[in-house]
Amino acid sequence: MKRLVLGLFASAAALLLSSPATAQNTIKVGVPMPLSGPAALYGEPAVKGARMFVDEINAAGGVLGKKIELVVRDSKASADEAVRVSRELILKEEVQFLVGTLTSAEGPAVSTIAKENKIILIAPIPKTDQLTAPKNLHPYVFRTAANTTMEGRSAAEIIASWKDVKKVATIAHDYAYGQDVAKSFVDHIKKLRPDIEIVDQQWPKLGEGDYSPFINAQMAKKPEAVFSAMWGGHFVTWAKQAKPLGFFELVQNRVVNGGEAGSVEATRALGADYPFGIYGNSYDLADYAGQSDAHKKYIERIKAYTKEDPPSTWPLTTYVAMQFLVEGIKKAGSLDSDKVAAALLGLTIDTPFGKQTLRASDHQADRGQFYGKMVKGPAGNAIMTEVKYVDPKPFMD
Amino acid sequence: MSELLDPVFLLGQLRSGLTTAMFLFLIASGLSLIFGVLKIINFAHGSLYMIGAYIAWNMTLILGNTSIGFFGAVVVASVSVAILGGIVERLLLRYMYKREELYQLLFTYALVLVFADACKYIWGTQPHSVSRPPVLAGSFDLFGVRFPHYDLFIILLGPLIALGFWGLLNRTSFGRIIRAAALDREMLGALGTNVSGLYSAMFVLASFLAGLSGALVSPIKSVVPGMDVEIIIEAFIVVVIGGLGSLWGTLLGSLIYGLTLAFGILIFPRFSIFAAFVIMAVVLVVRPWGLLGRPVK
Repeated sequence: MKRLVLGLFASAAALLLSSPATAQNTIKVGVPMPLSGPAALYGEPAVKGARMFVDEINAAGGVLGKKIELVVRDSKASADEAVRVSRELILKEEVQFLVGTLTSAEGPAVSTIAKENKIILIAPIPKTDQLTAPKNLHPYVFRTAANTTMEGRSAAEIIASWKDVKKVATIAHDYAYGQDVAKSFVDHIKKLRPDIEIVDQQWPKLGEGDYSPFINAQMAKKPEAVFSAMWGGHFVTWAKQAKPLGFFELVQNRVVNGGEAGSVEATRALGADYPFGIYGNSYDLADYAGQSDAHKKYIERIKAYTKEDPPSTWPLTTYVAMQFLVEGIKKAGSLDSDKVAAALLGLTIDTPFGKQTLRASDHQADRGQFYGKMVKGPAGNAIMTEVKYVDPKPFMD
Repeated sequence: MSELLDPVFLLGQLRSGLTTAMFLFLIASGLSLIFGVLKIINFAHGSLYMIGAYIAWNMTLILGNTSIGFFGAVVVASVSVAILGGIVERLLLRYMYKREELYQLLFTYALVLVFADACKYIWGTQPHSVSRPPVLAGSFDLFGVRFPHYDLFIILLGPLIALGFWGLLNRTSFGRIIRAAALDREMLGALGTNVSGLYSAMFVLASFLAGLSGALVSPIKSVVPGMDVEIIIEAFIVVVIGGLGSLWGTLLGSLIYGLTLAFGILIFPRFSIFAAFVIMAVVLVVRPWGLLGRPVK
């Protein structure tokens, strides 16, 4: 018994001694990301982008002579859980940086932890403006995703270009992302086209299973174009219910859908039931006219890495976030939070889809999205045509 | 508010309200049945519904996107879930009947977690979608309202199932035994009825209904992780309003819930779900046993 106790003490001591030693040889990056529940649909592929980036950079010798180690934790798409695992990552795993969070609930919550502990958080996916709004901004939070202002305004730019449209409606979920993106859309389209009237706004709750009353109510207002912010499985359900009710015929497919309705996940899930003819957006596209060589190479690598063809559009989000972090560390020549944070301000890097800058003013990357018309492709699934990368630079402020 | 007076619009809301109500009835009737006879509140009922939806999706891939393929998939899904329910009842649940309610609740909740992870493991986290069967894919115009055939099918199926149940419970000897079991399990056993077998049969029947509703919902909702919990909350609201254990109460509860959601958005555009909760709260205060339920002694 005594020996057992001694042995336990010895191994515990060895563990205690060994962890700082490994911490010196590696750079530990904590990744809080939803890996269970409905949001895991995006959380899982998103983590793969960061993993591929880390594998590539470690194979090339790492950064500042150190290897990067990812420590991934399930944030369960809840603010509370994301905060809990982020604290654990910082205190127990002693991560030096955080790259993660997915929903607009998690991002701002983990940002407060980053501020408290002076640990850099790069948010690759949450879109809510609140994350980097002046009152919430602090030196350690950065975002490489598009935000709701950019997404809402991009959609407004498209609908504003349809000159005969006078009556516009919106549908978005009644929570942070939906409210923010719809507001940005409405404000921007009123500025671009004062002659357009917002005839209807529907606010189903997040997770609503039955959209038909909302669809019917919207159809009664006879809109000529619709901005929808339905995303993920919600978009699938909404589109399937709207199609047989004649919704898309009524608006002649003049729907601009934010929330990655043009992503591979959405087109694959809906198959032949996709509302062909609408406009969707996506963070990434496997194949489009004018694609750069760097992007083509990235797509080949992620295809091989995830064994998916067409590959998921989500790995690119964390891939770019990790890229920013590593370039920031290189520029700072240090792992010190304050030095890396300073290095990230105004940093421009070459991402797989071109140059990206983290603006010094609001710590926000000038991240655009691909928009295009969704038509039936040769395999029966929807594909994006008339693809346009909407560069948000002109309307970020 | 001009649309409040527009009959075409109101008819459209009625259509969506009735469709929602009949779907909820399909799922909630099984929940109510299990409570009525087995006296167990089965949280895992929503999980069985989710498994039914996943199997239906899986089967349509195999059987093809035809009407026969779809209905074949619905049958396979319902029967498979019924068998799964039977296994769960025989191997696990029957040891819980004499435990306190809290343990039963915890046990069925544990099943929810187990099934949710199993589904994620087998079918992944991607949302899946099933097409409407070609024979029901179209729609017709009813006084200017677009009426999808599939919605009509569901609206007709609900009352048929309700009538079938009523017939089973009130017009057959099996139904008489079920009603007796609901009243006094021990007495029925003393009279020589195989109560344990009866309980299994009831659980299998309820599981069949859960699988059936999951399979039938797959063409109008995305099949995703989380659909189990989403539906079980709605089903509970329905049975609380209507009365746990009461068949007609469940039907009434479904209609109230579905129509409140559909017409609620006219009056409280952002709070129609809130209106449904208010109804539930009022029922709980005024008639805790539900509109058509019976007070527990």
